[in-house]
Amino acid sequence: MKAARDWGMFLLPAAALSWPAHAADYLSVEQAQVLLFPAAKGFAAQPLKLNDEQRDRIKAESGVRQRWDEQKVWRAERDGQLQGWFVVDDVIGKHEFITYATAISPEGKVLGVEILSYRETHGGQIRDASWRKALTGKTLADHFKLDDDVPNITGATLSCRNVMDGVKRLLVIHKLFLSHG
Amino acid sequence: MPVSLRNGLIAGALLISSAAALADENLFGYVRGAEVLPKGASEFYQWFTQRSDKGNGTYRALDTKTEFEYGVTDRFQVSAELNGMALNTSGLVIDGYLPSDKKFGLRFQGVELAVKYNFLSPAKDDFGLSGTTSIEYGVLDQHSGQKKKEYEVETQLQAQKFFMEGQLTWVGNLGIRAAYEKRAAISNLPDGFDWPTDPEMEISTKIGTGLSYRFAPNWYAGVEMLRESEFETEVGLERWSLFAGPSLHYGGSQWWATLTLFKQVRGGGERYAGQTDDHLHLIEKTKNEVRLKVGYNF
Repeated sequence: MKAARDWGMFLLPAAALSWPAHAADYLSVEQAQVLLFPAAKGFAAQPLKLNDEQRDRIKAESGVRQRWDEQKVWRAERDGQLQGWFVVDDVIGKHEFITYATAISPEGKVLGVEILSYRETHGGQIRDASWRKALTGKTLADHFKLDDDVPNITGATLSCRNVMDGVKRLLVIHKLFLSHG
Repeated sequence: MPVSLRNGLIAGALLISSAAALADENLFGYVRGAEVLPKGASEFYQWFTQRSDKGNGTYRALDTKTEFEYGVTDRFQVSAELNGMALNTSGLVIDGYLPSDKKFGLRFQGVELAVKYNFLSPAKDDFGLSGTTSIEYGVLDQHSGQKKKEYEVETQLQAQKFFMEGQLTWVGNLGIRAAYEKRAAISNLPDGFDWPTDPEMEISTKIGTGLSYRFAPNWYAGVEMLRESEFETEVGLERWSLFAGPSLHYGGSQWWATLTLFKQVRGGGERYAGQTDDHLHLIEKTKNEVRLKVGYNF
């Protein structure tokens, strides 16, 4: 009986196994569109199909693998005028994918970033405006270095790195495939 | 308070805790990565390791490790461990090592204190590097279950590299351990059985590596291997062994678990009389190990 009790002490952590992992979806695509392009009156879906050669070019220029063969892109318009591009992307987090949206101006400048889904418990500060604003205004001429011009969030370094690299990759996609309207 | 009630309350407290932290998450059972807990974060670990099969008779040992880790700074963490052991061995006597049949349930085996410092972050610096140092005090011989005083210090380097934006993780370990050991005397030893009780010094090295791939959200599959060599005062290289096997890891937002099947693929050094597997070391090691780790972040 005593042995069984002792085992119980060592088995206590098994109780934690019942803890459910949670997923957090913070914004829908439509909500993010309004936040990033408040003046736009319409968003035209314009998904970008990418073949292997195009994906290789993206990797060569951005330094980051283009995981998806279709990139979700919307053209933001106001009275027929192009306001910019709204792009939704997924990057690897510690355990699950992080879904975020980036607004890119017709000239290839980041207008803003919104986190749609962040499923890691730690590093939720990635959703804070104070972190996201470090990416706003960036162009391909800028430096992309974590803990330098883009702050690191302790304990969520991989998430920060992958979102930052993802935004740079989206700027390369804009340059290669969207910059001509 | 009844033990079962107390355990239930502690488990309940764990379950209602909602503070968040990221794990110093173990993708592998035996080799370690270079990441550390962020400042102020804590993690609770529970390890179970079953060691079985020495080629003759029956040998099955269970090691437990209950560990608490705390991030002092973003680069420096400390940990404390409580180790236990259970053993069931019969029909196997190894001169100098395994004097008799023995069977007991979980007992206190020892305690360990460790520190880990992160020099380079694998996600930020492209290549991760950490160093650990630990001191351990033990009261039971992990092979025979006999009483033995053991003081040891171990230091290790952990390297880690992410590939494919973190979907593929490589780690490499290099460590050295020094131990002072003194066995307690045993009465009723078999005739002519050698059981030295003089203090002895041992030095051992560990070289390990592992590769883990995230094949689905939250799930990782990996392989790992570990080579250990032990040098002892009188005989020089006393033993060496190479274990390898697959690992399966689940990582959630609050907890994670890792299961590793480890098989001895090669070994050498001393062998016991009657040992039939010439290419393995089966005196202080077994043919098979299975390790389950569970970590909880709070």
